[in-house]
Amino acid sequence: MSARYDRAITVFSPDGHLLQVEYAQEAVRKGSTAVGVRGKDVVVLGVEKKSVAKLQEERTVRKICLLDDHVVMAFAGLTADARILINRAQIECQSHKLTVEDPVTLEYITRYIAGLKQKYTQSNGRRPFGISCLIGGFDYDGFPHLFQTEPSGIYYEWKANATGRSAKTVREFLEKNYTADEVATENGAVKLAIRALLEVVQSGQKNLEIAVMRRNQPMQMLDMDTINSYVSIIEKEKEEEAEKKKQKK
Amino acid sequence: MAASVVDTYSDPNMSWMNAPHSTGTSIMACEFDGGVVIGADSRTTTGAYIANRVTDKLTKITDHIYCCRSGSAADTQAIADIVTYHLNFHKMELGEQPLVQTAAAIFRELCYNYRDSLVAGILVAGWDKKRGGQIYSVPIGGMVQRQAVSIGGSGSSYVYGYVDANFKPKMTKEEAKKFVTNTLTLAMLRDGSSGGVVRLGVISEAGVERSVILGDQLPKFYEG
Repeated sequence: MSARYDRAITVFSPDGHLLQVEYAQEAVRKGSTAVGVRGKDVVVLGVEKKSVAKLQEERTVRKICLLDDHVVMAFAGLTADARILINRAQIECQSHKLTVEDPVTLEYITRYIAGLKQKYTQSNGRRPFGISCLIGGFDYDGFPHLFQTEPSGIYYEWKANATGRSAKTVREFLEKNYTADEVATENGAVKLAIRALLEVVQSGQKNLEIAVMRRNQPMQMLDMDTINSYVSIIEKEKEEEAEKKKQKK
Repeated sequence: MAASVVDTYSDPNMSWMNAPHSTGTSIMACEFDGGVVIGADSRTTTGAYIANRVTDKLTKITDHIYCCRSGSAADTQAIADIVTYHLNFHKMELGEQPLVQTAAAIFRELCYNYRDSLVAGILVAGWDKKRGGQIYSVPIGGMVQRQAVSIGGSGSSYVYGYVDANFKPKMTKEEAKKFVTNTLTLAMLRDGSSGGVVRLGVISEAGVERSVILGDQLPKFYEG
């Protein structure tokens, strides 16, 4: 009898799975791709922007959000769930500053968000949050960090990662192309993030939103022209690569 | 006939050890063409003892909004911290710099709703892009009043005449700084609970410039 109930609420299935959490991870896999790259002096977050309907105001679609002056978050999954989590995280960032007089560290706020997600996997009558978050920024000591959280409430730190649709493809691309030298400059880190996204985003650069977090500076959303210039450089490099391959043959 | 003599140093009500930290103070804020100038003295007293003679009573709330604190040091510090919390969160939600009026409203919420427990007289001053430089006075009790020039603290009583006679609207930044410095110096000379140095702040679109005027550099007035 219990086998029929474990699909609807977050209790263990006979083979030890939390099915609701796994379904939440499915929801994440349906969301638009988000990628994060940690460089030496920057953290870059990029998302695939779903194309907006003709009559829709573009600016109301925000998948990259500031949690505090030094912490930025991108997510994949249910946007409405994200709104709630972001709100709670923003309050926690301020509350931390009020009580201990220091801005949050990346690990602290990630742990807080992950803890919140975990609570919803162990509560009556509630479902888990259907989002995976990429949280990036600089700690007070100047070190950059990039963390990822999942609906199950786990969190890990990454040098570069992706989540959402085709996350596996993007992650494989990052594993192949991430080097410490590549991301030592801001240009390199941004280029890597854009290249990674372009692997899976249809119809190219109009659908990208890129945020750059620099040490002790407010977050910057790259404008269309900057993204376009990166994309042209990337496409030129791709052509040169293709040329070289042809010549080798 | 023995007259009863009260020795202030052994009278428990005036004991240094028990008296609350208060900023018997002189604070001031003044609009100029392009922003506001804020100023304060630097004396914190516990009874007759000067606990801190280099206090900074000009407290940052956001990059463009400051407050001048008078009254109980503990109360005003706690209120300023809570307002900073609320305003920072508001700034995150809004995605842009909050208005000075919003900061004043949050101060008012706290100072009015807890009026029976607080002793706090605050001047909220800053710059925003909607209304430029603004000063909102939030005295004890929790009312709010926008003013072009405002003074507060125990030392302010002695300089109302000077301010009324010398304030002009649309001063330049240098004129406003001189005006604030002069006013505060006069207040510090007459009020025993005010003294030390004059701390100034100039808030405009560009942000905040802080400066200090040390004792020997204060303007000289007739002292007999």
